[in-house]
Amino acid sequence: MSDSVPLTTDHPGQVASATPPAPGRSRRLSDRGLAVAFISPALLLLLAMSVFPLLWALYLSFTDYSATRGGPAHFVWFENYTAILTSAQVHLRALTTLIYVVGAVALQTVLGFSIAYLISRRTHGRGLLTTLFLVPMMLSQVVVGLFWKFMLDAQFGVINSMLGSLGLGQVEWLTRQRTALISLIVVDTWQWTPFIMLIALAGLTAVPKYLYEAASIDRASEWFRFRTITLPLVWPLLLIAVLFRAIEAFRLFDLVYILTSGGPGVSTETLSFHVYKVAFLGFNTGTASAYGILMVLVVIVLTQLYLRYLNKLKED
Amino acid sequence: MAAMLVATTMAACGQDDGATSAPKAPATIPELTKDPLTLSFIWFDWPPAHALEAFANAEYTKVRSNVTIKVNTVPNANWHDAMFTQFAAHKTDFDIPILDSQHIGEAVTNGNILDITDFVKKNIDVKAYNPYLLAAYGQYPQAETGKRDENASLYGLPLLGDTWTMIYRKDLIGDKPPQTWDEMISVAEKCQADNPGVSGLAFHQANGSDAAAVTYNTVNGVYGGNLWDSKTRKINGVLNDAAGQEAMDVLVNKMKPLTAAGSGNWFIDEVNAAVAQGKACIAFNWIAASGGLLDPKQSTLGTTREEILDKLGFATLPSQKTNLVPLGGMGMHVSAYSPAANQAEALNFMKWFEQPDIQKKWAAAGGVPSRTDALESPEFLNAGPFNKVYADSVSRMRDMWNVPEYARLVDIENTNVNAALNGAKTPKDALNDIAKEQQGVLDSGSRKGGGGL
Amino acid sequence: MAVSVDEAVSTGPVRDHTSPARRFGGRGRSVLEIALLTVLAVVMLFPVLWMIETSIKENRDVYAIPAKFFDFTVTLDHFKDVFVASGGRSSLSGSFLNSFVVAGVSTVLATVLGVPAAWAYSRFAVKAKKDQLFFILSTRFMPPVVVVIPIFLMYRQFGLIDTKLGLILIYTAFNVPFTIWMMKGFVDEVPAEYEDAAMLDGYTRLQAFWRFTLPLLLPGIAATAVFALIFSWNEFVFAIFLTSSDDVRTAPPAIAGLIGGTTVDWGLVAAASVVFALPVLVFAYLVRKHLVAGVTLGAVRR
Repeated sequence: MSDSVPLTTDHPGQVASATPPAPGRSRRLSDRGLAVAFISPALLLLLAMSVFPLLWALYLSFTDYSATRGGPAHFVWFENYTAILTSAQVHLRALTTLIYVVGAVALQTVLGFSIAYLISRRTHGRGLLTTLFLVPMMLSQVVVGLFWKFMLDAQFGVINSMLGSLGLGQVEWLTRQRTALISLIVVDTWQWTPFIMLIALAGLTAVPKYLYEAASIDRASEWFRFRTITLPLVWPLLLIAVLFRAIEAFRLFDLVYILTSGGPGVSTETLSFHVYKVAFLGFNTGTASAYGILMVLVVIVLTQLYLRYLNKLKED
Repeated sequence: MAAMLVATTMAACGQDDGATSAPKAPATIPELTKDPLTLSFIWFDWPPAHALEAFANAEYTKVRSNVTIKVNTVPNANWHDAMFTQFAAHKTDFDIPILDSQHIGEAVTNGNILDITDFVKKNIDVKAYNPYLLAAYGQYPQAETGKRDENASLYGLPLLGDTWTMIYRKDLIGDKPPQTWDEMISVAEKCQADNPGVSGLAFHQANGSDAAAVTYNTVNGVYGGNLWDSKTRKINGVLNDAAGQEAMDVLVNKMKPLTAAGSGNWFIDEVNAAVAQGKACIAFNWIAASGGLLDPKQSTLGTTREEILDKLGFATLPSQKTNLVPLGGMGMHVSAYSPAANQAEALNFMKWFEQPDIQKKWAAAGGVPSRTDALESPEFLNAGPFNKVYADSVSRMRDMWNVPEYARLVDIENTNVNAALNGAKTPKDALNDIAKEQQGVLDSGSRKGGGGL
Repeated sequence: MAVSVDEAVSTGPVRDHTSPARRFGGRGRSVLEIALLTVLAVVMLFPVLWMIETSIKENRDVYAIPAKFFDFTVTLDHFKDVFVASGGRSSLSGSFLNSFVVAGVSTVLATVLGVPAAWAYSRFAVKAKKDQLFFILSTRFMPPVVVVIPIFLMYRQFGLIDTKLGLILIYTAFNVPFTIWMMKGFVDEVPAEYEDAAMLDGYTRLQAFWRFTLPLLLPGIAATAVFALIFSWNEFVFAIFLTSSDDVRTAPPAIAGLIGGTTVDWGLVAAASVVFALPVLVFAYLVRKHLVAGVTLGAVRR
């Protein structure tokens, strides 16, 4: 799939040093044996639990198979794929997913980086602050979804209650087309801003002090220092964080299931949620498999992008 | 690993040859085991499920001391999926699935539940029931509204009857409930205007389960519409005829403006919360889900049950062009994948459950029975203020389609009605989309690429 | 070395007394920054605080409008309800127990399978190592809703639907890639020379790994395991589609099942959520040194 993909972080000397100083032939073999013995159980599990099901799904994606209706699977070849790619319903979900991914990831990147930047400038209480900020990220999506549903409730929710105290009107957070998608983005942002913050903070605190000191001697403007020293050093890390988030956001399911169940209408149905409906409401297993394979392809492309950046980062 | 691959692939190709039909249960109950046995049900998580488990463990064990009853519960939103994924697995952790009446078609066509026609003939006194109640929870193909086809096969027996009740605030609109749908709307309008902070109406609008769909179907029925023509399998042109359009107009343009802001995702519990918090003049909910309204711990309407009942009234639905009400409730069925001993026990349980005195006890325990004698018994009528509503509604019930495509049909209707209620679609477009998409589902054979999108 | 929260604390500030920041309005700006940070912290933490508050409120205060922030009666009834139901243990507490078993066993399995593999990938010249590692990583990125369809078909052949073993296997499969990637970073940090030296002393490679490298890896293994544990603990999609009975169901679907009955007891939902989140927060605090590596599958370590 990828010889260009850089995965090893091995130090140059390591492969060499991995070979014993005085390698007898038998020892070499035992190394190989050891490698096989140590690696193959993990690989076998992945083959059985990830690859095999995926191949099976690939096979089913060319058929009209249904998991409940019985009867043998008939090959329909690319009919499922063309149906999906030309379906207005799917396009609608793709657009929703795109808006959600772009909106959520952009928002949490800006916020996360801002918070990290502010924290990095503090001398005291950084550990405590960071720890507190990280709490949302550790919660289960179920808990996050349920609780925000309660808080965003138009009648009994605390958010509207506070807006009411401020003399502002009530907002129908979860039941208007626009606000429902915005609510989804807000909740995701609330949960995952800490993720971006954490990684940005890692980059910010790793900027060598002497660079700033040199710059301050030069009386460089602060914006100039930020642009020429801070950003270039943090940028690659930030990109990784963004790609991670994009991949995660692309497969969003739990939050939709709990917060809006796709509504109003189907306006917050993401691709994942649509796959679920095809697979478990109609039990159109063949179609759902093709749908899934297409989604996996998108993820693999994103992963490739991600790894390329990782590579670049390592080279720098 | 390789062996597993081969085994699985072969199994994948070899199974499910040909569409199955439901296997038959024996006419007489086979000999029951004396060993300890757990009889498992599956239902969604709500008070009747807990009531059933407690009731059955207290009463059934008197005749079968080696049996324990276990009612597995899943989230409501997951109910259909939980049952049918297990059916699809050909292995169920339940012996008695409690199917919604509309699920029967899917389960029968896939051969997931037993055909109990012969068993019923031999063991159940069918004359003791309103024929339509018996048909609604067991017959397939679906019965005509109000009737039972005695030649059709039966696949289940009634467990819990249910329909919508109108819940109204006696202290706000008076003791006498509105009689027609139009009157109900104008009463709600006036009540809302007179009582700031209280909305006129509260009803199901959510796009999950069958929430918004049942709401539309109810208004559709009351205004003389039809969901489909079951003989010609026609939806487009039937659902969205003039009566259907009027019903959608009433729902979206007359009823929805009287509901609370943000109520567009409400289902059973939100409607109950609105009533309990004194935020609605008139509300509609399933009877079986209304018990919590009388619990002073959940309510701001009073500190005792009596105080709450001074304020809350329960009535049958108003009528308009027709007096139809939605059929709710569920039947008991027997999983085709249970061990023989459990299937026998399940049949025995069903026979036991449908006896007159047990039905009365079930009524007293909070259940809604189906036998006419139990429905008319004081045990039932006195158990809750809404039970009379149920008894009076029995002859007025109408169900949805119980075809195998039900899950998709109801999803199409739910999402579109929900969209119309929340301004994401015009009422007319929504109704036409429902008719068109549902017709597409009925017409498309399952053997075609891209099905289910 | 992974950048840690501790390190972020202990590393001196980026600027010192001569920092140019001071020149630009010094104090005023600093106050502004602190104010901004405080506001952000309050916004981010408010939902958590509100959850805790709701969990100790009586039900009629939960629905109060306008919302009650301070003047409510404190009750621990909801927490009691999480564990105790009328007539014994609540089904919710049973699901917590299931979660412990499923998350615990799958974590142990993932560790046992993943750590040796990570060591082997780090130490040996394995054929097509990059491709293998990419493949391993990519399995982790598949959307669960997509994976669950063929897994479902496969499980029904083996009778694994609605079993703890089924959940354990799929969680292990999702955690092994993570374990390998995360652990490979830790192994890379342990000089291979230690093992070489041991082998010169007559130990076999395996013994060298076991006696010299493994003890050095233990903190890393602990951190990795904790992250795997958090994933399995919080997982929802596989749990809701592959399980249905009380004996198997883990806590996330059980908590989700608390709504959608006939009344929503938000106090109970909040209490259950607090109880459910607590172990994760404690664990996350324990591995705070490795958070960055943990949340990026070991990709960002620095």
